[in-house]
This record gives sequence, C-alpha cells and structure tokens, in this order.
Amino acid sequence: MGDTQKKIVIGHLYPDLLNLYGDRGNIACMMERCRWRGIEAETIEFNTGDEIDFSGLDIVLLGGGSDREQAIVCKNLQKIQKDFKEYVEDGGVVIAVCGGYQLLGNYYKTEDGVIEGLHLVDIYTEQGEGRLIDNIVLQSGLTSMPVVGFENHGGRTFIGENQPFGKVLYGYGNDGESGYEGVVYKNVIGTYLHGPLLPKNPEVCDWLLKRALERKYGSAELAPLDDQEEKEANAYIYHRFVKE
Amino acid sequence: MRLRRMTAVWAAKLAEKISVHIFHRQGVTWAGKIALRLDPSILRTLASQVKKDIFIVCGTNGKTTTNNMLCAALEAEGYRVVCNHTGSNMLNGVAAAFALAAGLGGNLKADYACIEIDEASTRRVFPHFKPDYMVLTNLFRDQLDRYGEIDITMNILKKVMQSAPKMKVIVNGDDALSAFLAMDSGNPYVTYGIGQKVMDDSQSHEIREGRFCKKCGALLQYHFYHYSQLGDYVCTGCDFRRPPLDFDAENVEVGDTLAFTVGEEKILANYKGFYNVYNILAAYAAIRTGGIRPDHFNQMLQNFHPENGRMEEFQIEGTRVVLNLAKNPAGFNQNISAVMQDPSEKDIIIVINDNAQDGIDVSWLWDVDFDRFKEDNIHSITVSGIRCQDMRLRMKYVNISSLLEADIETAIRSRIKDGCGNLYVLVNYTALFGTRNILKRLEENG
Repeated sequence: MGDTQKKIVIGHLYPDLLNLYGDRGNIACMMERCRWRGIEAETIEFNTGDEIDFSGLDIVLLGGGSDREQAIVCKNLQKIQKDFKEYVEDGGVVIAVCGGYQLLGNYYKTEDGVIEGLHLVDIYTEQGEGRLIDNIVLQSGLTSMPVVGFENHGGRTFIGENQPFGKVLYGYGNDGESGYEGVVYKNVIGTYLHGPLLPKNPEVCDWLLKRALERKYGSAELAPLDDQEEKEANAYIYHRFVKE
Repeated sequence: MRLRRMTAVWAAKLAEKISVHIFHRQGVTWAGKIALRLDPSILRTLASQVKKDIFIVCGTNGKTTTNNMLCAALEAEGYRVVCNHTGSNMLNGVAAAFALAAGLGGNLKADYACIEIDEASTRRVFPHFKPDYMVLTNLFRDQLDRYGEIDITMNILKKVMQSAPKMKVIVNGDDALSAFLAMDSGNPYVTYGIGQKVMDDSQSHEIREGRFCKKCGALLQYHFYHYSQLGDYVCTGCDFRRPPLDFDAENVEVGDTLAFTVGEEKILANYKGFYNVYNILAAYAAIRTGGIRPDHFNQMLQNFHPENGRMEEFQIEGTRVVLNLAKNPAGFNQNISAVMQDPSEKDIIIVINDNAQDGIDVSWLWDVDFDRFKEDNIHSITVSGIRCQDMRLRMKYVNISSLLEADIETAIRSRIKDGCGNLYVLVNYTALFGTRNILKRLEENG
C-alpha cells in the first residue's frame, strides 16, 4: 500500500430511472473489491436533475432502463454532455450497461423516434425485430477468464471500427450478427451484459479499478483476492453454454 | 354439444388422476389442455353456468393466497365455488379448474368462481368469459426476460379491463401503478389499502417501481412507504395521488400473528408477514364488494391452511421447517422480513432455479436486500438449486458466507441433521413443487 489512504469515488448516474438489471450488483462488486484491499470506496448517486461534478469522480456507472425511462434520462444527459465528454477524453473510467451502453453512442433509433445519445463513443443503435434475450459468454482481450452474463435488448448496436469488448462464444452480442459484443474506448466499457456484469467477472471489475487508480494516483498494483467463488460461478456458466 | 363437453370433462379428470397418481406431478395444466382440445368452447360454457359471480385475481404477488382465501371465505358462507387452487393460472390451468369442477354429466354446479390469472394470460382467458370482479393486488418487476417491462404488463391489463367495461376492479390503492391502471381503464373500481404508516421503510434500498407519475410523468412524492413502492403518494405535477381507501386497514399489528381493523370489523389471522395484511384485506374487500356479508371471515382465517408452499410448516425429525415461495425482489424482501420476525435461531436454505417459468435471468437476485440476513440469530445459510453459484456470490458481496449444495434434498437433509431445529426454505417458482414433495415425504417417513 502507498503512503496515503487511497480512495475511489463511484458516480452512479440516474439510479432513479436506470436500475433494471441488478446494477446494484456492479456497485457492490466495485465497492467490496476496493474495501477488501484496504482502498476506501464511496458511491454517490445522482438522480435526474442533480448537478454532477465529474472532477470528483473516478468511475462512472450508467445502468439500464426501459426505453421510456431512457428517453427521460436522455433529456438530462444533454445538460452534462460536455463535462462527461471531457471526463472520457481525459481517461475517466466508465462502465455503461444495456441502456447506458446505448446512450454512450450517437443515437438510438426506435420506432417511436430517435433518442439523442451522448456522442462519447462513435457508435449508434437501432431497434431491431424482436429482443435478443439469453445467457451470453464472451472471450475478451481484457481478461484471461471468459466473460459471462445475460443480455436482453431490442436495440442493435453498431460499433464501426471501434474495439469490441469481446468475441461472442455463446449468445447474440451487439447486433446478433457481427459476432462481437460491447465496445472499449479509452477507459470506457460499454456492454449489454448484465446479470450483473462484475461479480462473475472479477477481472473486468479489477480492470476498471486499476484504470481508475492509475489515473488518480499514477500507478496501481491491485492486491490479489481469493476469487474462488467468482471463478466457480463463472466456470459454471461457461461450461453450461459453451461446449469444450 | 353436451356430449363433447362430457368427453372433455372426463378426459380432463382422467389426465389429472394419471398425472398425480402415476407421475406425482400436478396434472392441472395437462388436464386443461386436453379439455380445451376436445371442446374449445368448454371454458365459455362452464363459466356461463356459474350462478352468481366470477372473481378473478391478478397482480404480481399475492395472487394465489388472495384467491384461495377469497374462495375459502365464500365457502365459509355456504357457497359452492370453482377455484384454481394450485395456482395454475394460464389459460390451460383456468380451463382445468372449471373442467375438473364439473360433474360427470358435463355441467357445473357452482355459485361463484375465484380464478387467479397470470397477467399476460388475461388476453387469452377474457375471450372465453368476462369476469364480474377483478382483484388487482400490485405490480412489481418480475421476470423481465419473459414479460418485458412493467409498462407492457400494464398495457395488456388495460386492454382486457376495457374489453369488460362492467367488470368492477378491486384495486390496491397503495400501489400507484395498479391504482392508475384502475382509474385509467374507465372501469368501476373500489380501493383497499393501509392508510397509516405501520413501520418505517424509508431507509430500505429496495427498488421502487413507478417513481414517476403514469399520468403526467412528474416525480411522485411519498409521505411514507409500506414496502417496495406501496405507500402514500402524491404527484408533484398533477392531481394524481393515492385515492381514498374504501377498505382501509387500521390498527395494524404485525408479529407472530396479524391483526387489524377494517371499519367496525376486527380481523385476526395466524400468519406471519406484513404482506399478508394486503392478501387478507384484498379477499375481504372482494367479498364485501360482491355484496356478501362475511360473517364467518375470522373463523375461515383460523382454519385457512393453504398447504401450497406459502409459509407452509413441516415437522421433520424434531426440526420445524417452513417453506415459502419467493420469486421476485418485492416478494423476496417481504419474505426476509417475515423470516426475521422470528427472533429465534434459524437455518436458511435458498433455492434458485432458472427454468423458463422462473425467468432465465437471475440478475434480480441483486435487487434483493440479502444483507438483512446479517444477524446473530442466523445459524447457517445454504444455497441450492440450478443457480446456487450465483446465489453464493450474491451472499459473498454482502459479506455473508454460505454453504453450497446444488441438490435440494441433500441440502435439506444436511440442515435437518446439523441445523438448529428451525429451518426456513425459500424457493423460487419451479423449485416449489419438488421441494414441497421432498418435505412431505420426509415428514411422512420421519
């Protein structure tokens, strides 16, 4: 440990509207994996209409909501777009799931109209025929273990030349056709995986924590944790859905 | 076409018997399917033979208990009632309830029908008959992978309500979503609820649905919450607010038993769990709205043992075992409250499956406040079922260690052997029937 007490501040954006798929699990995972290592952790919830000071945040979590709720959030997001963009370009860490992932991009075109995105990553989403609902398994460049989770989305996301979060081993992924899931841009991960994402994928959680600590303190070595239960839960999904 | 109907009734009865006695499974769904196949108009005809009224019960949680209680209350007043007791609440289950209740002549002798219907299945049942009354208990998030968002369920219910414009809705006024639906449908309605604050729930982390007014989109303000989003709300943007309660539970006492008053009536029940106040109140409001004087209501409650895995007790080798269904965050949180009301030491087994009927997405486990199990009187926690790994991880992230045993029977046997004699088994939907069979067998052989 360094000389000073290290601390990570997580900003949870709009839990009043974006809270569909166990996002609390992602927060709990980040908080506990800091605490277990003696790193202080705090989560600040920002509800719609709250002022957000990005300079005080180390990780931003943008969760999933229903289409209707996403449209309400979208209005609020435009007010913080400029600050959020600066945060991302400066290496700020973001984990955006489901609806939050769609909002990272340029727009989400639904049959009811176009929801303006945050333009943080050059991707876009269009509503497709039917929802893509299933367990999902990825092989990701960020981790040694497979990444496992659950997806449930009507939107098809197109990431262009951007780096995907992972290659789909089982499930649908971004658009059900490309064979890839999610996006990674600077220190931003956007993904359809919930379940929630982080507890069964501790390496992804640690990737986020490491990047946040590096940005804040210059360097970061994360002490190893006993991840036996995480590994077993991950392996169960992998073996059940991906044939050896 | 009476002959056809008779054949369908006979076939349904036979199918049910074969299923129960040979395969030891509930045969209700199968029986209903066969009956409808042999006589597609059987449900319409038999429903029209109900002499007085048809009650249906809808809503995410509390359907089976409320419906069975309403049936028992009507029977206590001497009426003959058709009821889908087992909770098979899709079209086939509803058809089976009528077919199995019919005589061998293919006709029904019943004064009332009490039928619970899965919200999404109302679309398929309403073309067969139009109920006189609908009890709407609450709307919580449940199986997002199957039903989609709550908005979709609300749209379905609104359409069926409007397809039966004379049907009177008996609605939980404490739930802004249900109350809005009743008002918005244009159907006549009466309300029930708990007017005053009973316990403080403001610090809970529970997910609260419908924080924004369905009428105008503005934020709803709450004077207090009972649990989840049930409480006393008022819109900050329009005139939408909790409606006046026609049946208001007052002087609510929650402990080892439940007690409350509705007007002049004092109601006492031998159950645990605050949520049961709503179930009892809903049944009471329904019978009163139906114009029946429930003179034997308390007597009925004393004898009401539904034996369907809702707080059902077993005695196995000196261990008291309580089985309870918990299938979504709102239900699970209420379950935890009920378990924690028991101050004595206890072992807990949590069984989580992810079969189609459970919802294959188990992310909802993270919306349950499991940290409330962090008490001294918890002797052990065991996780079981298909997704026991997910459940163990869920407990790890509230810093509670748990024992993992995927096989339900092994888990139960182990805790009976090494536990403290007071065991709670909390299961989600597809684990219920199997677990109940195991417990019954162990009780009989013990």
